[in-house]
Amino acid sequence: MRLHGGRPVSDSDRVRKTSKQPEGTERKEPDPTEADRESATGAAREPDRKPESERDAISVDEEKDDARKIVTGQARYTADYRDRFPDLAHGRVVRSDIAHGYVESVDTSAAEAMDGVDAVITPFDDVVPDKLYSSSGQSYPEPSPWDLKVLREHVRFVGDPVAAVAADDPETADRAARKIEVEYRELDAVFDPEEAFGEDAPQLFEADDVENKQSGADYSQNLESHFEGELGDVDAEFEQASDDEERYVIETEWETPYQSHCVPEPHTTIAYTDEDDRHTFITATQVPFHTRRQIAHLFDVPIRNVRVKKPRIGAGFGSKQEMAIEPITFALHLAADRPVKLEMSRQEEFTALRFRHPMQMQMRTAVTDDGDIEAMDLYTLSNSGAYGTHGMTVANNVGTKPLPLYPRVPNVRFSGDVVHTNLPMGAAMRGYGAPQGHFAVEAHMDEVARHLGFDPIEFRLQNAVREGDLDRSVAILKDGDRFTREIRSCGIRECVDRGKEAIGYDGIEQPDEDHRKRGVGMALIAQGSGVAGKELGAAQVQMNEDGSFHLQVGGVDTGTGADTMFSQIAAEVLGCTPEDVVVIAADTDLTPFDYGAYASSTTYISGRAVKNAAEDAKERLLEWGSKLIDEPPEALDTGDGGVYSERTDDSVSLEEIGYEATYGDDEREHILGDGNHSTDESPPPYGAQFVDVTVDTETGEYELNKLVFAADCGVAINPALVEGQIEGGEHMSLEYATSGDLTFDEEGNPEVLGFRQYGMPRTTDHPEMETVLVETHEPTGPFGAKSIAELPTNGVPPALSNAIRDAVGVRLTELPFTAEDLKAALDERSADDG
Amino acid sequence: MPKTGGNAVDIELTINGERTTVEAGSADDLATVLRQHGYIGVKCGCDGGTCGASKVFIDGEVRMACGMAATDADGSEIRTVAALGTQADLHPVQQAFVDNFAVQCGFCIPGMVIQAVALLDSNPDPTEQEVREALDDNVCRCTGYQKPVEAVLDAAGRMQGEQSVAADGGRPVTVPPHGDESTSCCGGGCDE
Repeated sequence: MRLHGGRPVSDSDRVRKTSKQPEGTERKEPDPTEADRESATGAAREPDRKPESERDAISVDEEKDDARKIVTGQARYTADYRDRFPDLAHGRVVRSDIAHGYVESVDTSAAEAMDGVDAVITPFDDVVPDKLYSSSGQSYPEPSPWDLKVLREHVRFVGDPVAAVAADDPETADRAARKIEVEYRELDAVFDPEEAFGEDAPQLFEADDVENKQSGADYSQNLESHFEGELGDVDAEFEQASDDEERYVIETEWETPYQSHCVPEPHTTIAYTDEDDRHTFITATQVPFHTRRQIAHLFDVPIRNVRVKKPRIGAGFGSKQEMAIEPITFALHLAADRPVKLEMSRQEEFTALRFRHPMQMQMRTAVTDDGDIEAMDLYTLSNSGAYGTHGMTVANNVGTKPLPLYPRVPNVRFSGDVVHTNLPMGAAMRGYGAPQGHFAVEAHMDEVARHLGFDPIEFRLQNAVREGDLDRSVAILKDGDRFTREIRSCGIRECVDRGKEAIGYDGIEQPDEDHRKRGVGMALIAQGSGVAGKELGAAQVQMNEDGSFHLQVGGVDTGTGADTMFSQIAAEVLGCTPEDVVVIAADTDLTPFDYGAYASSTTYISGRAVKNAAEDAKERLLEWGSKLIDEPPEALDTGDGGVYSERTDDSVSLEEIGYEATYGDDEREHILGDGNHSTDESPPPYGAQFVDVTVDTETGEYELNKLVFAADCGVAINPALVEGQIEGGEHMSLEYATSGDLTFDEEGNPEVLGFRQYGMPRTTDHPEMETVLVETHEPTGPFGAKSIAELPTNGVPPALSNAIRDAVGVRLTELPFTAEDLKAALDERSADDG
Repeated sequence: MPKTGGNAVDIELTINGERTTVEAGSADDLATVLRQHGYIGVKCGCDGGTCGASKVFIDGEVRMACGMAATDADGSEIRTVAALGTQADLHPVQQAFVDNFAVQCGFCIPGMVIQAVALLDSNPDPTEQEVREALDDNVCRCTGYQKPVEAVLDAAGRMQGEQSVAADGGRPVTVPPHGDESTSCCGGGCDE
């Protein structure tokens, strides 16, 4: 189904004004002292819920465990391991310079004849698997099509890898790569998703070019996936509403561009086979275990013979969920028979790797004149680019993340099409469809409120999620009610209240000049905490005799401080300090399994596994404490570096327990604890993004005065790290709203090759930012925690669109917002008014 | 010694107080050569001269090491982030980055620390706007620049505090008390 909406309404379309306050918008949050009292009594019932006064290692700004290494330049990222490999060869990839065609021949003779060249590989070499796979780094079987080959005979965008070389040094590898001559048979290409979606367009895939096809795929019209889901009866509601004077139907359209992760450390992998014949990868990945499995399947080697180690990584943001370069590195390693390092250039990051999917969305709602939303209908057309990794699942999240902001709406439909074009491939990127979806939903809601004459914030609060709501829209694309979600924690109203206060919502002063107008906009935000029903985290705690612990955890710190968070959770349970917990993480040979760092899962899933492991070890600590204090374990607890009795105040230190358990005369035991966590839950963290903007109506230029983000992530384990996540997420969101975009010429050649051409905000582009943390307690999370990392990437586009609307009365619907767009919209309105 | 790109020549450098002769190819940029010799605090995040991660002091001036030919650095004195402080004894700027949680993935941080040290050497009491302008060509993807900017302002306060002690007769601390070869904190005003 396709919607054809009219243009969004503007001020002059306003139907009527009303000063009536929508019902049910009074603040219902308990005041903090009351909350604390409740927590204290709750503590007896729920040992997981602690009032602030009883928290030792959590809700603390614990120093990030690698911060000192980083500021002194000692932290080792993948490329920094080169000195461990005296015979390391350096890889270089040869990429397609046409948008669509077949490789007819590859002449490698000149490259192979060069001194210092160790291997040259093409799609026709035996060492390169002739197998389809997905690079998605998702759980098995991947909810992404298997449509990739390691090197590609059929190239589908400018940047597709067709050959690779390994040489003694990077410069020789570069020269050798340039000597490889590729002949192509060119095919027609298509770059526009609407053109691509049809029987007559150039076709990127034959049906048998793809395995593991996704729901609704029809490759004859370049359709990777079509999906739809409905609650209630949307069409009936719209039909009735259109005949009803007390109900309104409003449609809007929205468009978003490509966005680059701009991952600071380019994708880098070292592949080698160690002295025990184990194929080992030191690699910048968010998903060591998924990478291990995918490599094993692709190269037909046993999983047990593959080891994936994640060292310090220069962030991921989803780009390193992809197994983007490990297969080429491994094939080069097998061909060269020596360790190989492959490191992407920035140009490859901007042209050939992975991006946020561009989308076109339509949103339609039926609303009563009392401000109740009766129906919502969201459609997205996603441009997947040349391949389908994360195509369907990202598009799914366009609806399943923001629509749950309004879970009491009785009639909801969400549908989408994911189509291929001969452009670079979309993939996972922080927010994962939610930034696109929030732009459509939250700017639409603002428009509806203004259209009906409601205060945009009050209108949304009237309809917005509350604790105790049953959320079915999160599972709108699923059969059955297994993933229907009860909302157990929701601080969204306090986020709005405190955000309003921080931005000065009720006291905005207009500039003196007539041509400058100031406005404030707000967007409600929701995300998830892991993928419901598709997560697994595990951890093990080992005690050392000095009372310290080794924590082995599969969870992946991508630079966020997750390892520090793990140590805080473990310490809170074990009664030691976070410094007493040595975190060993993300090495498939050394740590328990974990799905990896994506979908905002690390604190909620991996952190809960850590808590479970620590609680398991704690039982043994109490048992040994019982022997040494001579009181029953039930009377004991951990704290202050020991085990103590609440009855007698007797205590024994963890060090005494450690030595006694390890070297005691009677009995000995290595105190261990293990923990798993998997769940159907994915509780949403909530936020409210505020933007204060001043628009110059003569030029269309606008200036951001301030950003405020108020977040409910449950209990913040490390508040300073949480703030950092919010500020960084807002940075990406700011870019999405104001400056980030990729452009291509008419032959599909990328025009953005580096930071110089890309609109990544610099220090001076950032307005003042204020962050507010609103604490709630999520009963299913570790110590009440939910996620935070993706939440703040969703808010600036809708909030800025709303702020501009507030300031000057016109609506911007295409990202990024340029001064030219705004000027054009102002001129158009003047013409209409005239 | 790793192989180098282009015709190799020997160049003389003083790196973090140590004189050394290194082989550099005509095609090698300085960041690559420094990294080959173990100075891993020099990061490469772009294809040359735009992201700021490779910033070092060259004869007292901040430069992106990836943006210049190694051979052009022949005879110069280079200071990397490793010369500023140790993990146990951080330079005030480094300490402020740690204490203000200005560090996430950390890839851009060495370049940012170098630039911040240079700023505070020439302008010990900068405004927030001056800090933002100084760091404008250091790209960071994790922090929204908020905490790094706060860290530099905090460092300025700390170093001012230390200098006022010095003015009262205490020890001058523009040069932090680190051991031997890493005594100089900056390329600007530290004669040694």
